[in-house]
Amino acid sequence: MFELSTDVGNLKELREGDFSAYDAIYLGDFSCPEYPNNFSSHAELLEAGLQHVHARGQKAYLRLYAVPGNDDLAWVGDVIDTALQLPFDALEVHNLGVLRMLRERGCTAPVHLGVFGNLYTHETAKVLRDFGVTRVYPNPELSLDEVRYIAEHADIEVLVPVHGKIPLVISETCFILEHSEEGAEGACGDGSCSYQCTQEHWLKRGRDDGSRADWSLKDTGRMTLSGKDLCMVEHGERLADMGLKHFYVHNKGEAPGYAAAVGRIYRDALARAFAGEAAPDFAPALDTLAGLAREGLCNGYYFEGAGQRYIGRS
Amino acid sequence: MVKLLAPAGSIEMARAAVDEGADIIYVGPLGFSRRPYESEMSDDAIREAAAYARGRGAELRVVLNTFPTPYDFGRFVDKAVRYAADGASGFIVTDIGLLRTLRREIPDTVLHVSIGSGISNLADAAFYRDAGADVIILPYRWDVAEIEAVRRASDIGLETFLFETVQTGKLCPGKCIMSSYLRFRDWKEIEGSRDFHGSANRGAKECYRVCQANWEFGAAGAAPVELKLRRDARLMLAQLPGFVAAGVTCFKLSGRERPVGMIRDLVRFYRRAIDEVVAGAQNLDHHAAELAELRGRWVREKTKRVDTLMDRAASYAK
Repeated sequence: MFELSTDVGNLKELREGDFSAYDAIYLGDFSCPEYPNNFSSHAELLEAGLQHVHARGQKAYLRLYAVPGNDDLAWVGDVIDTALQLPFDALEVHNLGVLRMLRERGCTAPVHLGVFGNLYTHETAKVLRDFGVTRVYPNPELSLDEVRYIAEHADIEVLVPVHGKIPLVISETCFILEHSEEGAEGACGDGSCSYQCTQEHWLKRGRDDGSRADWSLKDTGRMTLSGKDLCMVEHGERLADMGLKHFYVHNKGEAPGYAAAVGRIYRDALARAFAGEAAPDFAPALDTLAGLAREGLCNGYYFEGAGQRYIGRS
Repeated sequence: MVKLLAPAGSIEMARAAVDEGADIIYVGPLGFSRRPYESEMSDDAIREAAAYARGRGAELRVVLNTFPTPYDFGRFVDKAVRYAADGASGFIVTDIGLLRTLRREIPDTVLHVSIGSGISNLADAAFYRDAGADVIILPYRWDVAEIEAVRRASDIGLETFLFETVQTGKLCPGKCIMSSYLRFRDWKEIEGSRDFHGSANRGAKECYRVCQANWEFGAAGAAPVELKLRRDARLMLAQLPGFVAAGVTCFKLSGRERPVGMIRDLVRFYRRAIDEVVAGAQNLDHHAAELAELRGRWVREKTKRVDTLMDRAASYAK
């Protein structure tokens, strides 16, 4: 009826977390190859991760590094070579060079285009379809109507994030390391990472005297996320009516337990919406979700306007 | 043949750049080129700039580097076909779908891949070559070794900004939507009637350069440090001979939003420098004083512009 997916960075998180609310798991952190035992950069861990997911009757998608430089292409190629020997249900790319590498290697597995793939139009989706892409994650700036238009006019699956922080910008080096005292001693990528991203880091611009706009963003080192959590729990009926079927909860950067709590709420809300049941009282769910979101909730760009707004069902 | 690609944010700037020796000028149509409307041009002005350039042996490229909305895709194609008929010799684009469509509809045109594509490796360059691009602008994070690597991997034309290499920082443009997450404004009348929600990446809704404003940064509970999210790029010079030897055939001067006088002086300066390199010069140190003066002007203008954009952002809705 519909698919609900989320992301998990490594085997430890996969084994210790509860992801039973999800139909599919995107394995790996596409933003940082240094992230501990990241599936995206550890070919030797792929089989164990894949088996863990498949054993639970879920689909396993592998995320490939989003912004490889020339020096990264060799190890990314090694990860791809290992992955192509395994029964992954799809590989996710954000980088068109990596997409080309997959085609050169004769990849027959479905390919998903990730959030940093800059997908804005149905015509681009058609070009990518020729390269083996079967699912696209439209740029978060697109409205729901535009997302539907692409799905219909490019004859392609679209992944629709329904909850979690919105990826806003990515970098090839670590912002946390570059601005820490420890980081000054080493360079990002030289093996000296002290994993300071295990602590939450935030960018703030507000001032009590009102002389600056009250802006807040979360930073995971190589990726900056929205401060607020995208929340579409009140809009399941609309998503179902639009014919959208593939939904996603962003988990990277969140504390243990986040994906489980959010997943349970969305599993229930979407199941009801797809069954055509009357909308329930969302207040308890919103209370829980707001409690997990330090900076509050938003709808991203789905209903047009700046990404921080929240529009409820009414 | 090494070419100098210069900005034309107005008809006056177009004339100044051509007069000072730019081989190619680039213009952005209102609402289609990732700049505030003050630095974009009407179709009539673009036609006039094309005629001025062609009459003096220069070329004109049209920047269509915003990402179209799916609804608006046909309008991009129609405009490109019209500009080609009006004398534009090529286009600077970001969207792959648009790239393929223009290759098909206007086969003789020169297609540049914009910095907004966010390429990061030589396989990207090969992908865009497959997709029909003639020239790709390289990230200003790349040094000579990386340029040589991409030269070996693809025969696509190589273009670089006239900025020094900066190897850290958030990827902008091409992988960033911070500005539209934080602030938003509606289309302005002058940008034309459009029926979709925009952003810096999609025309209108200029990028407010929030990355260049001061932020507080730190772990939750720790004392924050004040910083900017991105380092400023500096105008380059010493790298020119190495870049030319590595295979760069087009140097792009940024600055459609800068004063005409500054662009005039920069085009004159880089015209001389490029001609010297093409004639065999390996050392451009004798231009150091003039470069320092131009860098100073560049930074002062940039600071003013960031302040202006942040003031505008403050006035718009969340």
